[in-house]
Amino acid sequence: MPTLATDPLHARFAAIVGERHAISSPSELRTYECDGLLGYRIRPRIVVLPATTEEVAACVRLAHEHRLPIVPRGAGTGLSGGALPAEGGIVIGTARMTRILDVDLPNRRMRVQPGVINLELSKQLAPHGYYYAPDPSSQSVCTIGGNVAENSGGAHCLKYGFTVNHVLGARIVLADGSVVDIGACDGAADAPGYDLMGVVVGSEGLLGIVTEIVVRILRKPQATRTLFATFPSTDEAGTAVSAIISHGILPAAIEMCDQLAIEAIVAATGVDWPLDVGAALLMDVDGVALEVEQTAEAAQGLMRASGAIEIRAPRDEAERLLMWKGRKAAFAAMGRISPNYHVQDGVIPRKDIAVVLREIAQLGHDAGLRIANVFHAGDGNLHPLVLYDARVPGEEAKAEAVAGEILRVCLRHGGSVTGEHGVGRDKACYLGEQFTEDDLATMKLVRAAFDPDGIFNPDKLFPTPRLCGDRPGPYVPHAIERSGEAGRG
Amino acid sequence: MSDRLSVAGVTPGRVLAPADRIELASIVRDLAAGGRTFAFVGGGTDLELGNPPRALDAVIRTTALDRVIDYAPEDQTITVEAGMRLAALDTLLAQHEQLLPIDVGDRQNATVGGAIATNAFGARRHRYGSIKDLIVGIEIVRPDGVTAHGGGKVVKNVAGFDLPKLMVGSLGTLGGIASATLRVFPKPAVTRAVLARTAADGALLRAALDDPSLEPSAVAHHPAQGGVVLTFAGSAASVDGQIAHFAALAATHGDALEELDRDALRRCEAAEAAVRGSGAWRWTTSTSIARAQTLAQPAATALEVGYPTFGVVLASAADDPSLDAFAAQRDSATVFRALPARVRGTVDAWGEPPPAWRIMRALKHNFDPQGLCNPGRFVGGL
Repeated sequence: MPTLATDPLHARFAAIVGERHAISSPSELRTYECDGLLGYRIRPRIVVLPATTEEVAACVRLAHEHRLPIVPRGAGTGLSGGALPAEGGIVIGTARMTRILDVDLPNRRMRVQPGVINLELSKQLAPHGYYYAPDPSSQSVCTIGGNVAENSGGAHCLKYGFTVNHVLGARIVLADGSVVDIGACDGAADAPGYDLMGVVVGSEGLLGIVTEIVVRILRKPQATRTLFATFPSTDEAGTAVSAIISHGILPAAIEMCDQLAIEAIVAATGVDWPLDVGAALLMDVDGVALEVEQTAEAAQGLMRASGAIEIRAPRDEAERLLMWKGRKAAFAAMGRISPNYHVQDGVIPRKDIAVVLREIAQLGHDAGLRIANVFHAGDGNLHPLVLYDARVPGEEAKAEAVAGEILRVCLRHGGSVTGEHGVGRDKACYLGEQFTEDDLATMKLVRAAFDPDGIFNPDKLFPTPRLCGDRPGPYVPHAIERSGEAGRG
Repeated sequence: MSDRLSVAGVTPGRVLAPADRIELASIVRDLAAGGRTFAFVGGGTDLELGNPPRALDAVIRTTALDRVIDYAPEDQTITVEAGMRLAALDTLLAQHEQLLPIDVGDRQNATVGGAIATNAFGARRHRYGSIKDLIVGIEIVRPDGVTAHGGGKVVKNVAGFDLPKLMVGSLGTLGGIASATLRVFPKPAVTRAVLARTAADGALLRAALDDPSLEPSAVAHHPAQGGVVLTFAGSAASVDGQIAHFAALAATHGDALEELDRDALRRCEAAEAAVRGSGAWRWTTSTSIARAQTLAQPAATALEVGYPTFGVVLASAADDPSLDAFAAQRDSATVFRALPARVRGTVDAWGEPPPAWRIMRALKHNFDPQGLCNPGRFVGGL
């Protein structure tokens, strides 16, 4: 491989992680050019796949010594370009750090390496009656380390909270290669001092790289009831969600699909949802059996009062799983109804769902583009999918513009430009619309405390004049997403 | 008045009371420009916490900042100024059958900002989490007087670094809290508490916590009452069903349950508040369920309340001689919330700095390069 001879650093990284796990040949590097946001591609200089904290630290030290930017990478399923390599920099992948280090049932915690797949935690815990709560739609392929970086959510975060509410402590490698434990690693619930763990979760790889993670695990609820309800339009479905939330009901999840999304999901998964409805809600209620029954009853009443056409429960566990599989594969299903689509992620107050969906529909109408909606309605986390055909000149740019305008609608309603996909490269320029210069400068004070030279994940999250001239490319589904193996949002 | 406002035993030169958030920022700006040291004080109910500040030119009293900025009951979020008393917030939320499930000793006086800055919690943390889990947005005044925001008003949000969490428990050493947005919760239809006369490390409690038929909203061990109090909240049928189930479980362990009425429950909670300000040693040891059983504590200790799933609060008389040795040897999970005057300044409230103290020091330096905000009160002299 010619690069071995031309890149003198290859041998030094290979000495740390082993020859097989230091990658610098152009053909192999191609895999690492982008993450789930396929429109941006940068070829890194070297990719290293360390197996231990010590190897990570040695790689970081070497990179630091040569002032090479470092981009941490989990499974590369992120949708905001958080794992997009830096020009001339290294990528530290956690693909080999897949060990579960400790399962501590009495204390309800688990210690894992960052490359462990999200779903693997719950699989390991299932025989004991426990599980790990955050369930991003990509949970069959995404890693816990990536979840920490992005503060990943998921449908069931409505009741149980996000990654940040379930990570207790971590071992982190800092920019100078030093290793420290943050948060509550030693069995305590709290650690004195600033809540560094709370800041590292969701910091999108800008503060360091976590090499061990201590998570909280939960006992499985006694009972779960799933309801599927259809509505004439998103107005009634949105009203139903607002009514359920404002009534004080806390379901485990409430997801909404509009007519276009239903059409795509039915085509892709064969689930027998009716096609002649305007919207559907998929809801889980869980907890103590008696409470669950009553809550489900109350929610059904509110759905009917809001104009539900039909409310049904899955016949059995197999149908329940199929319904949820349909929901989690929804983004990929869009391929059935549109050659291309742009995934958006924004948040609004839950009381505004119906009106915001109308505003979004209007944006699509004005641009002559269809917009499908499939999202976490219970916490107001929208995922509008702007459908377009890249072969039609100008449509792609139009779709991007509409997607951008949707974020501005979210901001006008007092919301956020991202609820779970992160800022990354994709939304750095929108962050300046959500926060003031002073807000961003204050966040940079935090970054400088961890990484004074900005060696970790440069050109991400914070808006810069250079970045904000860039234009994102079209959203292209990942291969595993097309196959329906894992979903988005 | 200024005596009551002494911070970990240090009396401020003066007390300033801004009328609104704009004045709060301008006061901080002026103090910073003059190189003056200052502390933010809300209700003043936890002023024994931390080490004595190295200097304290002024206290900034935030209690006039008590406005509601935005309350969206149907969205279950509220944005209030930092000086709002928790009791006032409770009254407001009750109009919409909602509540903020954060347990604070003295709700009449304690403020929202103070609860955030001290990371206050109690028995309901078992279900609702701590204030870290409920805060979604914050407005701070940095030590240089610049106002900055983090998070937002919606319940789900990953835009930017999580400044709200950074401020929780930071004890005003990175700046002052001007306002915050918090998640609030529907008031359960029925709330009932039962006392099981069992030890905090007993088999009954472990069985209850492991039983999927039981989802207590609060769990606390009250030694003065002689047992563990489990609170159940929800619909009447569900609460009745859970208590019946727990009673049956208790019977298999040879234990009987006793229903606690509102007054009895309040007496349990008041026991912890009573020792505040008395000059006694008072400390918390953070723990997890199983680890609680092996905690080494001095013999003369009075356990005020135990939270079997996350920690214990203990106290001992000011003249208890065993405490000096305990203080010297305790592990990092133990924090002194109050120290007798005789050891203040010699016993470190926080103990050995945690492994990541270097990052904390850098944070403090970046936010407060002149070292003006509560200097020396926090972990490792920050």
